[in-house]
Amino acid sequence: MAALIRQKSDADIDRDEIPPGTLYLLILKTLAVGGRLHGYEIAESIQNCSDEVLQVEEGSLYPALQRMLIKGWVTAEWGVTAGNRRARYYTLTPDGEKQLGIEVSQFQRVMGAISRIIQTA
Amino acid sequence: MGEFRRRLNMLLHRGRFQRELDEEMRLHLELRRQQQIASGLTPEAAHRSAQRRFGNMTRIKEKSHMAWGWDWLETLLQDAGHGLRSMLRTPAITVVALTSLALGIGANTAIFSFLDAMLLRSLPVRDPQQLVKLGIEDWGGITDSFACTELYSYPFYRQFQRKNAVFSDTAAVFSMMNSVHGFVDDRQESQLIHVQTVSGTYFQTLGVGAQMGRVLNDADDSSEGDHPVLVISDGFWKRTFGADPSVLNHKLKLGNVVYDIVGVAPAEFFGTKVGEAPDAWAPLSMADVIPPGWGNYKANFSESLYILGRLKPGVTMQQATANANVLFPQILRGFPDAKPTQENIADLARAHVALKSMASGVSDLRRPYSEPLMVLMVIVGLVLLIACANIANLLLARSTARARELAVRQALGASRSRIIRQLLTESMMLALAGGALGIAFAAAANRMLLGMISRGSDTVPLDVSLNLRLLAFTFAVTVCTALLFGTLPALRATRLQLVENLKSGRGASAAGRSPLAKILVVSQVALSLVLMVAACLFLRTLVNLNRVDAGFNKENVLRLDIDSDITGYKDDDLRLKLLFKQIEDRVNALPGVKAASFSAFTFGEGSWNSHIRVPGMPVNRNVDVDHNIIGNRYFSTMQIPILAGRAFDSQDTATSQRVAIISEHVARTLFPAGSPIGRTYFIGSDEKMVIGVARDVKLHGLDRPAGYIDYLPYTQREWGFGDFEVRYSGDFSSIATEVQRAIHAVDRRLPITHVMTLDAQVASSFANQTIIAELSVFFGLMAVFLSCIGLYGLMSYLVGRRTGEIGIRMALGANRAEVAWQVLREIGLLVLAGIVIGLPLTLSGIRLVRNMLYGLSGTDPLSLMAATALLLFAGMAAGYLPARRASRVDPVVALRDE
Repeated sequence: MAALIRQKSDADIDRDEIPPGTLYLLILKTLAVGGRLHGYEIAESIQNCSDEVLQVEEGSLYPALQRMLIKGWVTAEWGVTAGNRRARYYTLTPDGEKQLGIEVSQFQRVMGAISRIIQTA
Repeated sequence: MGEFRRRLNMLLHRGRFQRELDEEMRLHLELRRQQQIASGLTPEAAHRSAQRRFGNMTRIKEKSHMAWGWDWLETLLQDAGHGLRSMLRTPAITVVALTSLALGIGANTAIFSFLDAMLLRSLPVRDPQQLVKLGIEDWGGITDSFACTELYSYPFYRQFQRKNAVFSDTAAVFSMMNSVHGFVDDRQESQLIHVQTVSGTYFQTLGVGAQMGRVLNDADDSSEGDHPVLVISDGFWKRTFGADPSVLNHKLKLGNVVYDIVGVAPAEFFGTKVGEAPDAWAPLSMADVIPPGWGNYKANFSESLYILGRLKPGVTMQQATANANVLFPQILRGFPDAKPTQENIADLARAHVALKSMASGVSDLRRPYSEPLMVLMVIVGLVLLIACANIANLLLARSTARARELAVRQALGASRSRIIRQLLTESMMLALAGGALGIAFAAAANRMLLGMISRGSDTVPLDVSLNLRLLAFTFAVTVCTALLFGTLPALRATRLQLVENLKSGRGASAAGRSPLAKILVVSQVALSLVLMVAACLFLRTLVNLNRVDAGFNKENVLRLDIDSDITGYKDDDLRLKLLFKQIEDRVNALPGVKAASFSAFTFGEGSWNSHIRVPGMPVNRNVDVDHNIIGNRYFSTMQIPILAGRAFDSQDTATSQRVAIISEHVARTLFPAGSPIGRTYFIGSDEKMVIGVARDVKLHGLDRPAGYIDYLPYTQREWGFGDFEVRYSGDFSSIATEVQRAIHAVDRRLPITHVMTLDAQVASSFANQTIIAELSVFFGLMAVFLSCIGLYGLMSYLVGRRTGEIGIRMALGANRAEVAWQVLREIGLLVLAGIVIGLPLTLSGIRLVRNMLYGLSGTDPLSLMAATALLLFAGMAAGYLPARRASRVDPVVALRDE
């Protein structure tokens, strides 16, 4: 059996993994700001807004979007991109906006707690 | 809710969703690649970079797919498909497994449906658990004994209804059903109608309304004889009136009275007696004029009713019992015609009214059948266990054969739990298929069982059809079955011995597998022994019962019932006696008829009994003499020998000396020493002179001793007959036709029912023992057969595995007989081990059924030996093929294979 050798590409920039559990938050917020976006745009937007610090494994957006579709936080419809390609565009639903609020406050609570721990040095 | 709909939508359109997902992921990759090219990468590097940033495409697709939440279903379908294929790949195993499952589950379903219908199910009435009944024995009949706590008179019921403080409603039901040949409207043909007489409060107490018209009410029962109204059952409405919506305009004539149909009862309502289905309910006020005229509306001491009550809210059974026992002596003593003797007062002081729940009604079927049914339930449960062990063994063998496949799959990364789940899915499919077949089998078995418990051609109206409760039971049994036979093989099959299994196509080492298989086979044999011994015991009981001398010759006698009430004659009408005589004379003259006679009773039909008083002897109040009223040729018809004196003949007329014939037992125990011929005795105030002594016969049951019987001629005693017996020679069915033609030649109106042989009538008295004997033999043999399959399977497998070893031994000089003997010896040891384990089980099991046996000691050595011998023989037969195969091993071939 051939050994699998993982090649580290020189193109890899040093990026940080997004904290677990925050993917929904990021997608929801991105859609809240950007309105109607397709998957690639969402990924681009997250990376741009975080100044290329946050690394999303881009593919993992799609299972997350599927789950959000089921939960009714977003809806999807097919449209045409600027480059005249067919793409699926996602929009936030009222439920999604509510969820965004929940996710944000949850995140702030956790982050607040963590930063308090860090600061008591 | 919305979420589930979205999920379902995705499941239904998963092809489209999959395509759309693929498309948008492709777009993503494409856009990323273009962006990378724009930032200066070569097309190839851009492609790689886009792929890398996207991640593992397959895994992401899988994850998106799982997000829909249907992966379990897909896995299940996959497993089911896989299971189906592997079932089809080994058809022999599948057929054996399915057949034994179908029989096992079907038998359990069938027996349970009878248990449920007979013992468990609640009456279809309002709040059945609030209903109670006075008295626990469920007698049927009329008695005049003082202080009877089972049956009550109508005046007693009325007083009890008024005085009790514990029941919100109180009702009375006649303890027997009237079978009347009545007429619908102006029809000329009579029709058998089963009429239940009830108090006017009956329906209200049960909380049952009418589906059309009205039910009976208290006003229908307010004064005797002038409320000719009937509520008919749904079944009768449909059968007789074709569900005519104007049925309330129709009338029924019973006896000499024409009744209005005032209502139709709900479809599910069958009264309060399980196993009976009245066609109509009439108020007790009419009981005296509904044939055969049992009612006694005003008599304080003619007890024939059940009293039912609905407990007031918050009243306990204890409180109700206490109240009933306060009222019971108070009401009885209060009757103006109560002139209790010293003994009556003692009886009354001893009497205790016990109450029982009426939630599931009363039933005449329970006494003879509840024990046999429970025993049968255990038997079929054990058979199912044996079947499970068998299937477990088959699956074990198969999973060993599949060890390599499973090992490969595990090596490729399938988790153990995944494979166990798949194997259990296969087991579950097998069980469900078996369960479905079992339900079909149960439906057929139910029909057969109903026929077996029915007398003659009238099927007992017992609802054993499939219902939700039954389906739930069957489903639970099926699932338990699958877990029982599927779990062990699945756990065993997935126990990892990867390297070994991959190396050798032969699977796990024999040592690792056979102990479990051997334990299964040995326990099968042990359980089979229990069942086989039980079968032998019940079979011998049946044989003993068939051999019992009833005192009369039951061969070559035809018996039938005639409903003479249809003539409208009173029981003491001379025209009725003349009718009987004409019928007897005409039938006696038929070719092929040796003797024919009417009688009040023949066998197993109940009796009319009372004390007798013999002058010069003390009255034994514990002895009731059964009185049979008969025609002159009764003794020659039944071939009951007259031991002294003479039989009745033409000199015994309505006006001659009142005569009687007594049985040996009566002569010996109730009469003074010396010949009883010419002595007189009293039935009530009627004086009879003994003119003969007849041999003892059994009247109530073959397993009971011959009792006290006397015979009176019908010329001297009023009685409307039912039973007619004909001793014949030749063909039963042609005689039966001739006899019926002769009866109708005398009076063509007379309805004739229950035409059968006396033998069949006697046999129906122990139908319960017949059923349990036949079924236990069937299931016992099935258990042995299943065990044999188990033994055969195990030994074939072991022989197959040991081909190499056998080859070596043969090469070293062992001869074929020795090899075969070794296989047989191993089987013999397994069977013996099963028998040794089974014996104590059997002995303790027998103790539970001891009182269902007749003419046997509980540890009947013959049955034990027969069962043991049968098992050993069957075991050897099962070992024959594997032994022969072992003896035919060609050492050269075997060794080359190694």
